[in-house]
Amino acid sequence: MITLQHMLTLSGLLFALSVAGIFLNRKNIILILMCIELMLLSVNFSFVSFSRFLGDLDGQVFVFFVLTVAAAEAAIGLAILVVLFRERGSINVEDLDTLKG
Amino acid sequence: MFVQILFYAFSAILLAAALGVIASRNPVHSALSLVLAFFTSAALWLLIEVEFLAIVLVLVYVGAVMVLFLFVVMMLDVNIERVRGGFIRHAGLGLVVASLVAAQMIGVFWARNLGVDATLGAPPLPDDYSNTRALGEVLYTQYVYPFELAAVLLLVAIVAAITLTLRQRPGLKPQDVAKQVAVRREDRVRLVTGVDAAGTGPGADRDASPRGGEGA
Amino acid sequence: MTPTPTLASLAPALPEIWLTVAACIVLLTDAFAGRSARRITPTLTLLLLALGAAAILVWGQVDQRVDLFSGMYTADPLATVLKLLSFLFTAVALLYSRHWLEARGLLKGEYYVLVLTALLGICVMVSAGSLLTLYIGVELLALSLYALVAFDRDSGIAAESAMKYFVLGAIASGCLLYGMSLVYGMTGSLLLGEIAVAVQGQGVAPSLGLMMGLVFVVVGVAFKFGAVPFHMWVPDVYHGAPSPTTLFIASAPKIASFALAYRLLAEGLAGVEPAWGQMITIVAVLSALIGNLIAIAQTNLKRMLAYSAIGNVGFILLGFVAGTERGYEAALFYTIAYVIMALGSFGVIVLAGRRGFEADELDHYKGLHSRDPLLAVLMMVMMFSTAGIPPFVGFWAKLQIFEALWASGHAPLVVFGAAVSVIGVFYYLRVVKLMYFDAPGDLPVPERHTGVRFTLAINAAAVVALGLFPQALLELCQRVLP
Repeated sequence: MITLQHMLTLSGLLFALSVAGIFLNRKNIILILMCIELMLLSVNFSFVSFSRFLGDLDGQVFVFFVLTVAAAEAAIGLAILVVLFRERGSINVEDLDTLKG
Repeated sequence: MFVQILFYAFSAILLAAALGVIASRNPVHSALSLVLAFFTSAALWLLIEVEFLAIVLVLVYVGAVMVLFLFVVMMLDVNIERVRGGFIRHAGLGLVVASLVAAQMIGVFWARNLGVDATLGAPPLPDDYSNTRALGEVLYTQYVYPFELAAVLLLVAIVAAITLTLRQRPGLKPQDVAKQVAVRREDRVRLVTGVDAAGTGPGADRDASPRGGEGA
Repeated sequence: MTPTPTLASLAPALPEIWLTVAACIVLLTDAFAGRSARRITPTLTLLLLALGAAAILVWGQVDQRVDLFSGMYTADPLATVLKLLSFLFTAVALLYSRHWLEARGLLKGEYYVLVLTALLGICVMVSAGSLLTLYIGVELLALSLYALVAFDRDSGIAAESAMKYFVLGAIASGCLLYGMSLVYGMTGSLLLGEIAVAVQGQGVAPSLGLMMGLVFVVVGVAFKFGAVPFHMWVPDVYHGAPSPTTLFIASAPKIASFALAYRLLAEGLAGVEPAWGQMITIVAVLSALIGNLIAIAQTNLKRMLAYSAIGNVGFILLGFVAGTERGYEAALFYTIAYVIMALGSFGVIVLAGRRGFEADELDHYKGLHSRDPLLAVLMMVMMFSTAGIPPFVGFWAKLQIFEALWASGHAPLVVFGAAVSVIGVFYYLRVVKLMYFDAPGDLPVPERHTGVRFTLAINAAAVVALGLFPQALLELCQRVLP
């Protein structure tokens, strides 16, 4: 039997992996964006499992909207990335050092 | 028992795929690992009978978002070696962070005073239950307000993405849809009469070349 | 089944409906009007905002709390006032920005569309009755702002700051969402009202899951406020964004941050006030301290005001720390006063530059008095007020916070706040010194657009008037908070 504990643990592990990914890939923005998608996936896991195991549909509707928002967010994030690449010719985080202080 | 074996198998694949996202040397491999992660998640959601979202996850994420990611990864010619350098340097720190976060979260989820009883299975659903139908029934009634707002949100994404990336450079040859639609038969085809076919065929072809579409 | 809403029953949702329609009108007008007719877009936007505000005053007011759309939408006097203020602040910000945008070839309809959708996001947050609408409001505002920050595509620093803002903002959204999922799991509902009941039912010792959800939620809220230690984006975004965007970010979105904190913490999670109160105390104290200390070291005025914003956010959050009626009133008063002052000071920055010369370094303000006496006077009023010097409104704002803290038994925080305010005076007065006592050099004279300068003067007059007669604004804050 799969229990809520199983699902939540999986969601927690995914969240931890995504946070680690953001730490590890501090140099590559596109990987950071992918780690953010991974983080949203772990959130969706959490919502879906609570919704299913509490027998309440609201959490699933929330996931539906998170998916929509994430798609919109990815579009804007990648658009900014393209603008940045055109300006700098690089998406290396170390080149993002103009703003300091 | 069978379900449990499936659960552990898919979970293992999911975590391996997530590891692949954060640790592979090539962004294309990362993106493909992420696709695998989404597919396995969909399978896991099917296991706990959340069918509609499982399908939507594949359609929206794999079908749209990840294609966008791959498109950008390939469009921007990323210097992999330079970008990946320093990975080993941060690896120790990443490991510490990951295990700390994971340990804390699992500690909470396995604690006795979590707040809900997490050791129960999912409540059984009636035989004629349709997940899609149930979601559809609340989405357009109870949730109509956030639904409309989500539409505005997508509009914002369209406006923002176009504003940021569309450039009208000289030398481009874009389609002018209005012109293409407004073209009439007389503009495209000229019927040549009274001459033998052998001599004029090529000439007639040249005259009939499209003018409306490309000339903008 | 929910009953079919009628047109009359939807009247409280007028601001959101109107803004959606307005954004579409502006978008379509801009797309289909000819090149010359596009110049009407700014005027059209302002007209639509004015009409919307008038319509809210006539039809959209509510005397008491009304729940719409199955409880996802809350209309109450607080929401109406916050929305009207957001309309006003946005209109003023757009008014200041027009000439700046025009001179740099950025006067495009999309800018106005995105500002309108950002305002829609603010209104959605202000009226949120459930975690879902709160989240969608947050994202609507954030996505519009990311695009507005990157709007000047040929500016390298704008793209860089937009990227940083986006990455940090998305991570914060992830944290906020994780927190929301845990709160949902522990309480079994997305509606803030039902969450409040469920949390009350847990008594004095909240469950571990709820506590963890609370931590994530507070991280998300602190990020949206730009509070220490989640403030990294604030200086970079304020500095890198085009000045009109900075002006906008500093204005109406602060109202949204207040609404987010109030709806989520003070309404939904009121039952665990001691738990989040501790976390907010740390965040508030660090923000007030670090914001004011690092501001001293800045050479760029936009950056300095960004750190000043962090410091001021610390004071707003101190109002939440008090955790009393009085504290929320003080926080609301402070937010409104701060936004009026921020509009004025960033308005001066926008007006003091011209094409090819961004007046954003502190040195650019040397001798502003001899180049443009009016701007110098207005900036001086704003600086004095933000520093908290009487008789300007900034003084009363700080006093309100101190009184609320004192009344709720947080005397050490009052002493701390007063000390930090004194540090703050130093760097605000440095700007005044630069403007009045330093040699002007050969810096360009700002262009003079009479209408905009007149509005800016009214803005400064408001700072003085509210400082002399704070009672009106105080009573407003007391009336709208239950």
